[in-house]
Amino acid sequence: MLGNVRSLPLPDPGRPPLTSPAAYLAWQARRQRGVLAAAVTCGILTFLAQALMPYVLGHALDEGLEKGLGPELLRWAGIMLAAGVVQVVASAFGHRFDVQNWLRAAFGTSQLVGDKVSRSGDRVTEDIPTGEVVATVATDAMRVGEFFFNAARLIGSLVAYAAVAVLMLRTSVTLGLVVVVGLPAVAAILGLLVRPLHRRQSAQREASGRLTTLGADTVSGLRILRGIGGEGVFTDRYRRQSQAVREAGVRVATTQSYLDALQVLLPGLFVALVLWLGAVRAVDGSITPGQLVTFYGYAAFLTWPMQNLTQTLQITTRAVVSVRKIIRVLQVVPATGATPGTADAPAPGAALVDEASGLTLPGDRVVALVSAHPDDSARVATRLGRFDDVADRETPVRLGGVLVHDIDKDELRHRVVVAEATPHLFSGVLRGELDVRDRATDEEILAALHVADAQDVLDSTPGGLDGDLPEKGRSLSGGQRQRVALARALLTEAEHLVLVEPTSAVDAHTEARIAERLTAARRGRSTLVVTASPLVLDHVDEVVVLRDDQVVLHGTHRELLAGTGEDHDHYRAVVGRTLTEDPVPAGPTHDHTEEVTR
Amino acid sequence: MNETRLPVADIATVGRHSAALLRANARPLTIVVVLHTLAAVAGLAGPLLLGGLVDAVAQGTTRERVDTVVLVFVLAVLAQTVLIRFAQRNAMVFGETVFADLREDFLATVTELPLSTVERSGTGDLVGRTTNDVDRIQHSVRFGVPRILVSTVTIVLTVAAAFVTAPLVAFAMLVGVPIFLVIGRWYLKRAAPAYQRESAAYATLNGTITESVEGTRTVDALSLGARRRERVRADLSEAFAAERRTLNLRTVLIPGMDSAFVIAPIAVLLWGAFLISNGSVTIGAVTTVVLYAMQLIGPVWELIFWLDEAQVAATSLARIIGVGLVARDREAGDRSPDDEHVVASEVRYAYRPGHDVLHGIDLDLVVGERLAVVGPSGAGKSTLGRMLAGIHPPTGGSVKVGGVPLVELPLEDLRRHVALVTQEHHVFVGTIAENLRLADVTADDAALLDALEAVDARGWVEDLPDGLLTEVGSGGHVLSPAQAQQVALARLVLLDPHTLVLDEATSLLDPRAARHLERSLNAVLTGRTVVAIAHRLHTAHDADRVAVVDGGRIAEIGSHDELVAAEGDYARLWHSWQQA
Repeated sequence: MLGNVRSLPLPDPGRPPLTSPAAYLAWQARRQRGVLAAAVTCGILTFLAQALMPYVLGHALDEGLEKGLGPELLRWAGIMLAAGVVQVVASAFGHRFDVQNWLRAAFGTSQLVGDKVSRSGDRVTEDIPTGEVVATVATDAMRVGEFFFNAARLIGSLVAYAAVAVLMLRTSVTLGLVVVVGLPAVAAILGLLVRPLHRRQSAQREASGRLTTLGADTVSGLRILRGIGGEGVFTDRYRRQSQAVREAGVRVATTQSYLDALQVLLPGLFVALVLWLGAVRAVDGSITPGQLVTFYGYAAFLTWPMQNLTQTLQITTRAVVSVRKIIRVLQVVPATGATPGTADAPAPGAALVDEASGLTLPGDRVVALVSAHPDDSARVATRLGRFDDVADRETPVRLGGVLVHDIDKDELRHRVVVAEATPHLFSGVLRGELDVRDRATDEEILAALHVADAQDVLDSTPGGLDGDLPEKGRSLSGGQRQRVALARALLTEAEHLVLVEPTSAVDAHTEARIAERLTAARRGRSTLVVTASPLVLDHVDEVVVLRDDQVVLHGTHRELLAGTGEDHDHYRAVVGRTLTEDPVPAGPTHDHTEEVTR
Repeated sequence: MNETRLPVADIATVGRHSAALLRANARPLTIVVVLHTLAAVAGLAGPLLLGGLVDAVAQGTTRERVDTVVLVFVLAVLAQTVLIRFAQRNAMVFGETVFADLREDFLATVTELPLSTVERSGTGDLVGRTTNDVDRIQHSVRFGVPRILVSTVTIVLTVAAAFVTAPLVAFAMLVGVPIFLVIGRWYLKRAAPAYQRESAAYATLNGTITESVEGTRTVDALSLGARRRERVRADLSEAFAAERRTLNLRTVLIPGMDSAFVIAPIAVLLWGAFLISNGSVTIGAVTTVVLYAMQLIGPVWELIFWLDEAQVAATSLARIIGVGLVARDREAGDRSPDDEHVVASEVRYAYRPGHDVLHGIDLDLVVGERLAVVGPSGAGKSTLGRMLAGIHPPTGGSVKVGGVPLVELPLEDLRRHVALVTQEHHVFVGTIAENLRLADVTADDAALLDALEAVDARGWVEDLPDGLLTEVGSGGHVLSPAQAQQVALARLVLLDPHTLVLDEATSLLDPRAARHLERSLNAVLTGRTVVAIAHRLHTAHDADRVAVVDGGRIAEIGSHDELVAAEGDYARLWHSWQQA
């Protein structure tokens, strides 16, 4: 039906050309050409009906008004009403089409960006600051929408302008030429002011963005400010920036006020010129008083298309700048899986091997990886998950003998899950945020929470599993967040589950419980825990010791503690949170066996 | 967690505050209104002069008369131009000033919030108010207030001018008023919630994208891509539903208002023709009134638009003003402590009345001792820590330093006595030096470096390209969590309180680094009283005394050796940890 709105978002956002802003906009225009055509038709009708008004009014004055409330006047009043009805209907539908144009373009773009960031891995933030990526949805997509929203108004204006010019030329060549030449001249002069205005506006926006950052920064650190002091310093800093924004605003106001004044002056003088030319003709009888009113009406009406023209200039400039930013985000090449997998994935139960270090996960054991430098062991563990095809080229990892690089990425991600040390919690219903594979029963979710000793989260989230977790799990303490992330990782039921420092933020009581339950829950399934905590090491099937990026020892915690030799000494030094006063030495190791085992 | 929501002001309070704000700026506001009124008057010249010309031409007139009339029109345009220039500039400057005052006052209020409110409300809600809500009202405050006044003045003047020109004719232009009133009321009643839903939908969408971008690594690791795409899709669906709702409202509003504007000139024309045939008015007068009726379109639409915006802004304003409604949690007295002796007696605390978290805790801190507080999560360790640091006034009992209750000390003094360090660390936007000087504005670079030295951070700070002047925080050089924690500890060194409460302050570091950091801290804090709420048992082992807190009570207290010998909870835990 006419004016019916098609539901958005569309199932497929499509693949836009990323060669230039013009190509992108043209592609978008083609995708919504039906709505665009409908909007433009309505726009033309609206403007033409409006342009007709002065014409009708002039005739009504000349032919009807003098004779009083006669049939002539009623005829013209009827025509006026008809034109009015066309205008009302066309502009109502036109608005609906305009908004659809806006939404199709803006939502399509937002969807494209949303899809991109969901596939790019962290490559997107390496190249572009987070804020700018978010701004492509928050601001730039809207600007693209605005461009299409404005299309009907622009074309309607141009058509009405042409029509009025023709009508005036037919009545008086001089008056017609004044319109044909005068208005574009006025629009061009106003256009000149647009650029400096833009510059000042973006200067203010930038200052204002900084102000928002300062405000958010102050408030985010408020606990510290209130605890340590320094509120005065921060309110002063905010006030200074706030005043800078105000001053930038005053500069905008100065330019803007000149623009506003010119928008009164230039059309005003234009109307005066038309009025004078018309009145002179009316006096010598070459035009009627009604036609004089018509000319005045045209001149007054034409200021509208003229303003639209000036505005279009701004809108188009902004849209092009925005499309450039959008294209930059859409051009990001994902860190992994940019090309489809080439090898068949091995059968379940295959071993996962990191060739560079010699670390092997046989497929059925709970293994701990220990290193004097937690960053080293974390790096090896992360490698197992294949996060960067370029960086990992020198350090091949194989699943069942097949290079992980060659396996289909989705398949690999389902079989090998690496939960890193600083996992991100997302907002949403707790059940869904825990069970990210959407396959666990409530009992299984509760069991995972039990393993992670995170049942207390159910109490601190109103509504329990059905309750909402806020952004970044902000309602939870640091330890709770870590335990929730652990439960989430467990629920993936991955064939190989790699956990990096999963208990670093929990207290010793809790760590002891988690260590016991975790190893029991994963017994018989491949699990790698990167940790140096004896509470955990004591429970795993096997401990692997990494030294200078090489596996040097493996065995049970007790075996490794009991063994002799330099590597065993090293192990004892790393895991024995000794009672001596020296920090763990990075170089030659000391024998702490006595203290540790006493 | 014990989250509490910050208050939101009611309509009456918002009204009072807005009125006060306008009163405080009465002078510039009056100037704006006067200038715009004069500009609007000048803008009324066109139709009036044209009407006169029409009559003159009909009765036969001269070139001179035409020239004079057009000259007057040009003068009116020039006058309007100059007036608009100053009126608009003043209006915008007024808007900028009022908005700047508003946000500055707001931030000042936020930074003066009572300690207990800050600790309990979390910062999420406040950050939202500082960014989103302040953003949302800016359009209305900067442009809306003046524009509402100006469009109202223009409407009133135009109608008045029509009545002055030809009172009999002008009645006909009011034919559209009932339509305006009915449609306008209908629309404005529904618009605010609909637009709020719309802006909430977009805020959610932006939040989803922000989460996806900030969590790209986790999205990749756990293959959450499809979920994230689904979330964006759902957000867009909601935004679309909200857009459709407002679009449907406008589908009533736009033709409704437009038809009023279509009818008005026709009514004037017909009624005018009747009056002309009576001989009671001239054609020129009717022309003038018809043109006035057409000229009303602009200001009426503008008024509707801004009333809409103002409604939406009012809800954000309510949240901004609400922050100022938080009651103070303490009154500073004028007694000063005799010594550095901190004593808690019979301390009780309830976040909700009737639900005590602490059940009468007595704790006498020996000056200069290290006390470790251990116990299971939820036992009340952190709450006890906040009492000992004077953050919350206790519900029962007291915590005193040198005989004076902590909550009776002025905040500046309190900080010199007791400080709370939590696991939360925040690196402020600014240089490292600025981050440190929060604690002591007078400290020179040497003092800053000494403080960094004390926490083993001097080395890496000096290795930074700009040393102490390196920009850190959001957008600057990124500090590791351990480095951020060291900066926080260096701040404490500068603050120099005699008693410190460390609430899991070192838990976010890897175990070895924590131990390392605690050692350097120990060296600096010798002679200070330290209460360490601990995750890690080595902290307890190093302490002079250990307090085991369980169920809001101190279950055991004594030296490490005494507790191990007592073979209670602590001993069991110690043994399991010691198995290694």
